[in-house]
Amino acid sequence: MPALHDVDYTLEYPYTRTTGPVIGPFLTGLRDGRILGQRCGSRVLCPPMEFDPDTAATLEPDLVEVGPGGEVVNWTWVAEPSAKHPFDRPFGFAFIKLDGAETALVHAVDTGGDAGAMSTGMRVRAQFRAERHGSIADVYFVPEADAVEQVIEPGEEPVTITEHLISLRVNEPLYPHRARFAQGLLDGKIIGQRSPVTGKVYVPGRGYDNMSRVLLDESDEVEVSDAGTVVAFTELNPVQYYGQTETEPYVRCSILFDGTDQPVIGIDIRDMTVDEMRVGMRMRCVWRDPEDRSVADIDNRYGNVPETVYARFEPTGEPDVPAEELKEHSW
Amino acid sequence: MAPRPCAVLGIGQTKYRRRRDDVTLDGLVREAALGALEDAGAGFDDIDAIVLGKAPDALEGVMMPLLSLCDALGAVGKPIHRVHTAGSVGASTAISAVNLVESGMYDTVLTIAYEKQSEGNATWALSGGKSGGQGAGGTFAPWIRNYIARSKAPEHIGWMVAVKDRLNALKNPFAHLHLPDISVEKVRESPMLWDPLHFLESCPSSDGAAAMVLGNDDIAKKSGRPPAWVISHAKRTEFGQFPGRDTVRPQAGVECSEALYRKAGITNPREQIDCAELYVPFSWYEPMWLEGHLIAEEGEGWKMTDAGHTELGGSFPVNMSGGVLSSNPIGASGMIRCLEAANQVRGTAGEYQVPGAKISIGHAYGGAAQYYAMWMVSSELNPEL
Repeated sequence: MPALHDVDYTLEYPYTRTTGPVIGPFLTGLRDGRILGQRCGSRVLCPPMEFDPDTAATLEPDLVEVGPGGEVVNWTWVAEPSAKHPFDRPFGFAFIKLDGAETALVHAVDTGGDAGAMSTGMRVRAQFRAERHGSIADVYFVPEADAVEQVIEPGEEPVTITEHLISLRVNEPLYPHRARFAQGLLDGKIIGQRSPVTGKVYVPGRGYDNMSRVLLDESDEVEVSDAGTVVAFTELNPVQYYGQTETEPYVRCSILFDGTDQPVIGIDIRDMTVDEMRVGMRMRCVWRDPEDRSVADIDNRYGNVPETVYARFEPTGEPDVPAEELKEHSW
Repeated sequence: MAPRPCAVLGIGQTKYRRRRDDVTLDGLVREAALGALEDAGAGFDDIDAIVLGKAPDALEGVMMPLLSLCDALGAVGKPIHRVHTAGSVGASTAISAVNLVESGMYDTVLTIAYEKQSEGNATWALSGGKSGGQGAGGTFAPWIRNYIARSKAPEHIGWMVAVKDRLNALKNPFAHLHLPDISVEKVRESPMLWDPLHFLESCPSSDGAAAMVLGNDDIAKKSGRPPAWVISHAKRTEFGQFPGRDTVRPQAGVECSEALYRKAGITNPREQIDCAELYVPFSWYEPMWLEGHLIAEEGEGWKMTDAGHTELGGSFPVNMSGGVLSSNPIGASGMIRCLEAANQVRGTAGEYQVPGAKISIGHAYGGAAQYYAMWMVSSELNPEL
């Protein structure tokens, strides 16, 4: 069997954070070229905190400027920076106790890639980036001797909400049973897995029978019919969210293929309205031409019988299956 | 050894809103915790352990939030753990906290649940970040259709629930939605989201947190606050999909309520329980849970709704506070059901108090209607049934 694609997709979302009465002014300060600490009794905490770390008492916002110089109290070295790191060359992460603060801030120190320039007790100084957004990444640190004087123009509105595009890339081979299922779709076949214990047929197979807790492998696989019975449906009016490309209402249904014991969920129907659908209705898959079929969206967690392999599902014209007979297959 | 009796001694809630932009996530969660402590007449020093609950991390994108929330919750140097059972988590969290008291391990436990939905997008998160996601409404809508077909319920039942819960919410200052001009016509004419569910038959997306202070019988005596005794609780789970699964009446839900009633000696829930806070994020789940949790016979739940029995003032009020349909900080929604049940038996439910309520239940479900958590509270430790 030819090797199918590796799964490779990036899950990402622009989360927002409300910054509240202490972190908001701190981030506003960074944007404006100042580092602020929070008074806590006789101490100054930087990074500032909303609550006393010893007593859990609420700290009324009382921010004072600290730094821009400070001392490294501990550090580690990042020899191979990733795309998400603040520098594209090796750098240090350090606990930095800024002048005027009693606690240490974790931040990046740029020594031009020289690990030998890092030491506990070294003096560092804040440098601000040309583009600042009210983010912890607006600032970085360098050895004090390398610091340059900067003139920072303060911004206007205080920072109250921040946006963070958080992402996670998933890159892995398809599991063997998923690859065989996907290959089946490319060949115009629906492959299920039959439990040797109960005889139940699952589509798609999970590689195990969750009811009798046995593994299922290639020897348990069977081709099932591409005709079946609608067991449940709705019409979706797509909620708009980041990454959503659907805009128009469409029918989504679950079909119990003949010879199987568990319906395939998430089959989308574009050429029928919800009023034309019935639980119990018999339908068959009309496959796309082989060269037009794609299983690119099938990964190890999502994807059953995707629209990229079928042209449509059409009613067979057979009499409906009585709904009572489908009671235990309603998903 | 019999479990130590456990009572709710303090309740705290934030105002539920579309977006709480004046506080951090930490500040939001703390607000509910401080409210519960104040109500219990206690401080952080009185708390032995903390149990935190919320729905999937992807909702806000904050991983392992129990660690970053330690400072806000006075948890430094104390045991804290986090519970996660999808939408049922608020009730599962409360029950986990009860277990810690009943076991005798701790005398006083603070339990908190929250969601700050405005920081992310629930439908995105529940869709694995991919296009074409159906969210919770799209998952439940086909099962609701099958319930309607099976029970022969008329279509106005869903609209009635949507109106009833929003009218109840007008009496609850914490509720997110206050829709004084809600009507059956408005619900019916609101956009269809997931056929047969209209926009106004669906829960809102809320920011908010809820908390309770739980204590054993000694602490309850000392506190002098009206206790809500947790006289029974149960959790049950089933697979999301398996051959033979009845999604309209999941077996785990039936068995969860059977266990809940058995432990309390309840033989006739409809008569012996005074009122209920059921997890109803979409209108039709009121009749579905009345049946699925054995309060009504199969096929009869919608008739209770239709006859007005579930209204405030009816013979079996449901979601007196306005329910999930009026406030839905997802992770907290189950805990809100539990604490509102407690409010009823403590006599602290204000304008939505059911007069003389002695026994009440709080309920939540989650995932693909596969996780269940329920508790029963009473004004008395050993109530006469």
